[in-house]
Amino acid sequence: MLATQRRRFHVRATRSRMLPLTCHQNKFFVGFYFGLGGLAGTLFTWDGVGVKPVRIASHHFSDPYQYEFTVRAANVRGFASDRGEFGADLLQIDFDRLWLQAGRESLPRSAHVTISPDRVPIFFLAELDEPAIQTGGIDLTSGVIALLSPGSSHFQRTKTPARWASMSLSPGALAATSSAIVGSEIKATEITKLFRPTDSAMTRLITLHREARRVAKGTSGMLRRPEIIRALESSLIHAMVSCLETGLSVEPKVGYRRQIAVMNRFEEVIENNPDRSLYLAEVCESVGASEKTLRRCCQEHLGMGPLRYLWLRRMHLARRALLRADPATATVTSVVTAQGFWELGRFSVAYRSLFGETPSESLRHSADERPAPRDPLALPEFA
Amino acid sequence: MPGNGTHAFTEPGDYEASLCGAKIDLVVTGRGRFKAVLTWAELRQLHLLCSQEDLASIAYVELPAHLAYVAFPTRFDPPPIWGGVKLRPGDIVFHSCGELMHHCSTGLSQKGFMSFTPERLAIWSYALAEEELVPPPSARIIRPSVPASARLLYLHAEASRLVEESPGIIAHPEVTRALEQELIHALIHCLAPDEDHAYKAFGRRNATVMARFEEALAAYADRSVHLPELCMEVGVSARTLRACCAEVLGMSPYRYLRLRQLKLARTALRNADPAAVSVEDIARRLGFGDPRRFTVMYRAAFGETPAATLRPQQSPGPLK
Repeated sequence: MLATQRRRFHVRATRSRMLPLTCHQNKFFVGFYFGLGGLAGTLFTWDGVGVKPVRIASHHFSDPYQYEFTVRAANVRGFASDRGEFGADLLQIDFDRLWLQAGRESLPRSAHVTISPDRVPIFFLAELDEPAIQTGGIDLTSGVIALLSPGSSHFQRTKTPARWASMSLSPGALAATSSAIVGSEIKATEITKLFRPTDSAMTRLITLHREARRVAKGTSGMLRRPEIIRALESSLIHAMVSCLETGLSVEPKVGYRRQIAVMNRFEEVIENNPDRSLYLAEVCESVGASEKTLRRCCQEHLGMGPLRYLWLRRMHLARRALLRADPATATVTSVVTAQGFWELGRFSVAYRSLFGETPSESLRHSADERPAPRDPLALPEFA
Repeated sequence: MPGNGTHAFTEPGDYEASLCGAKIDLVVTGRGRFKAVLTWAELRQLHLLCSQEDLASIAYVELPAHLAYVAFPTRFDPPPIWGGVKLRPGDIVFHSCGELMHHCSTGLSQKGFMSFTPERLAIWSYALAEEELVPPPSARIIRPSVPASARLLYLHAEASRLVEESPGIIAHPEVTRALEQELIHALIHCLAPDEDHAYKAFGRRNATVMARFEEALAAYADRSVHLPELCMEVGVSARTLRACCAEVLGMSPYRYLRLRQLKLARTALRNADPAAVSVEDIARRLGFGDPRRFTVMYRAAFGETPAATLRPQQSPGPLK
């Protein structure tokens, strides 16, 4: 809840800061900002003749929380489901109507994704030979795109490092452009739908997306030229619409809707207890699903059983609490017992193998690296 | 506010008195110094109890009618015999509400109890397994899968360990919650009927006879009582009663009766005013005809003479 509000505020703030600057410069303005999460550069161009500037942001993150909070058009909350060093790259290109994002994650992850109510995104693998990303319990393989429903939510998980691509329009813009391009309105669906476009349409979409990323990262300055901006945006919209139009919808499995309902209630319970450890017995009671049902749904949607998910969640809550705590007043014991861990020895071993450092190191780090107790969920400062 | 604690006892009478909830009538059959340790943890909806008795004993357990109990031995050497059945590691006894049962051991015994209301049990089992479990009409031995029973016993032991070693940690509301939630999960896993669970019922006949036997003994508590009278009261032949006692108590009814009377004598001696009553009075009242034999038996059972018990344990401070 809070997360969504924070991000919306964040998006507005970025835009309002961007516009006066670009108007001022009239021709173009280039600015580089250094953020906590890594290097973030923002490039604005303005020609003054009906083409709005393109906003480009390229980030590198080592902090998964900051990565999640920077992703746009969706509220993402999750964690790495494997040990190791987390690293993620995120590229965002905002045209006038079309927002484009591409991401790369170094570790398998499980995340709950809530789509903004005012965007209709499509989501697909960034390249044809990428391993599948499971979206809402269905394997999103190469050659398939997901049309995500505004305001809906689903679990997403990867089993390997992943590269993904997405593009989004507002519901109105999707309806308007699709009726202009293919003569019929494509509407946002109530639940997430998968499409398998024709090979040529899919190849075109992937090629154009790749091209847009290349141009945005390059230094040729092509995205300063209004005719290029206009051409690239309209080709991308065209490719998106024709994929949706030519795509055969992939029918979900029997019981899919019930699974989605269970998983949404599951996430709701989790969302209502943002800082509190949860246990299976009480979760089953609140969700209204038996352990068996929940296990089946979680296996499909999260790639792990509910016990492991809840345990990982507790470990991450404990880590967050350790990083937030003030080492002058808090002890590891006081912080982790508040998450219901009573076997401190076992906890430390598990913590170390999961995060690569001991709980007391995490607690000390919160003092060494960040002078003031910092909220690790705070917004990344890249603008 | 959940209450936790642990206490060591050296007097069976004090031990019995402190077992609130469940009533335990303990007859010590082994010789030596009695020692028992009780550890209890009251979580929110689950109450846990761990008991250890150092001497061979027969405990007659009377469970309250409004609570469901799950109990299990945690030590198997010497083998615990509950209701005439020798229990094996991994066995869990799911008691009926208001159950009456004899727990018999020939040496050091350790056991764990968990109690909860039948209503909560129905809610938990429905939430986790979509099936409303109710306490059985009479006790059943459940043999869950090894990991399931091991987990329940581990969590139960952890709770007692925390009460004994780190009461500060278990008093933390989040730790209480974590323990309770995990225990509920493990409990339902053990109780929910599943393909790898084996069940066994206790012999009903034994249980009925023994419950009536105890009832008759209680009715005759303060006077001399003889076996034929008891058999009449129980409504079975002496032969049947002997067979039942041998199976459930591991001794003859006569020996059990005598040990029980000795225990009553000890309670009476401890509570009596030495100025007003004599050892002989008490021995006679409890059916011990020969005071000298009484003294010998008493001394053999408790390691001190009846007269020593009758003497005030501690003199009041100012006189000393």
